[in-house]
Amino acid sequence: MMTNDKRDDTGLETYFAAGRKAGRVPSNDLLGRIMADAEMQMPVSESSVPVSRPSFRAAFWSAIGGWPAVGGMVTASLVGVWIGFSQPAGLDQIADRYFGSADDSYLVDLLPAFGDDFAEG
Amino acid sequence: MSMPYDTMSDTPDEALLVLYANGDVAAARALTMRLTPRALGFATRVLHDHAEAEDVAQEAMLRLWKIAPDWRQGEAKITTWLYQVVSNLCTDRLRKKRGVGLDAVPEPEDTRPSAAQGLVEAERAAALAAALTELPDRQRQVVVLRHLEGASNPEIAQVLEISVEAVESLTARGLRALKAALAARRAELGYNDDE
Repeated sequence: MMTNDKRDDTGLETYFAAGRKAGRVPSNDLLGRIMADAEMQMPVSESSVPVSRPSFRAAFWSAIGGWPAVGGMVTASLVGVWIGFSQPAGLDQIADRYFGSADDSYLVDLLPAFGDDFAEG
Repeated sequence: MSMPYDTMSDTPDEALLVLYANGDVAAARALTMRLTPRALGFATRVLHDHAEAEDVAQEAMLRLWKIAPDWRQGEAKITTWLYQVVSNLCTDRLRKKRGVGLDAVPEPEDTRPSAAQGLVEAERAAALAAALTELPDRQRQVVVLRHLEGASNPEIAQVLEISVEAVESLTARGLRALKAALAARRAELGYNDDE
């Protein structure tokens, strides 16, 4: 605590000395509340975050990409079913050329109706 | 709840705050033990109401915990910052008290000493606390910070955001008013002015 000669001029130093000794001890209750606040507000460090090992099911789910991946698979499956039931025009020709002829399978004519137009220029 | 002593007594406040921000509970405990008495002492002397002073001290410390991750090293002393927060919280509460009228404010404690015993130390402290309530807010805060908390004039200037000259002026006026208040109290209680 600092000292100040001017204080003695006021005649108040005995009061201040008494005042400094009084009323500075916080209760355990207050200290407990403050510590509870401190722990609640404490920024969480990485080392304090509990690291739990994921279950096999969670690991598998994560490995296949979770819900987005399942969504993609479902969509692809539905499209396959739809193609199976309502065969798009030209698909049989593609299949014939691919499986049933000796032609090069990469020369797929997707628009056979326009073939003559192109040939005529 | 039993609190251990400050086992980090050699560690500066700022370093403790950094440790706290990094998740060190022991640093939080050391800061609590070190700073709570200061916040509580200042608030008690300004408010003259222990329950309210405890609330202010807790709120000030809560703000310290919140600001810890963003604390800028070297810009201000933590104690100065804490006193500033306590000062503002006390000023707010005193304004609200004035707003509800004097009738709603509890009477200061009766500090009358027992007859012919003289002013023993505890009674002097009580008389001082009561006399401080008669000072205007700013004068009271300056006198408490300077003469009871041991803060320097430049530090008080930072806390109250005023010039050092204004601190000196407030201190002089505060001491005069305090002396008059204590003299009146002594006369009222029948003591000779022989302190």
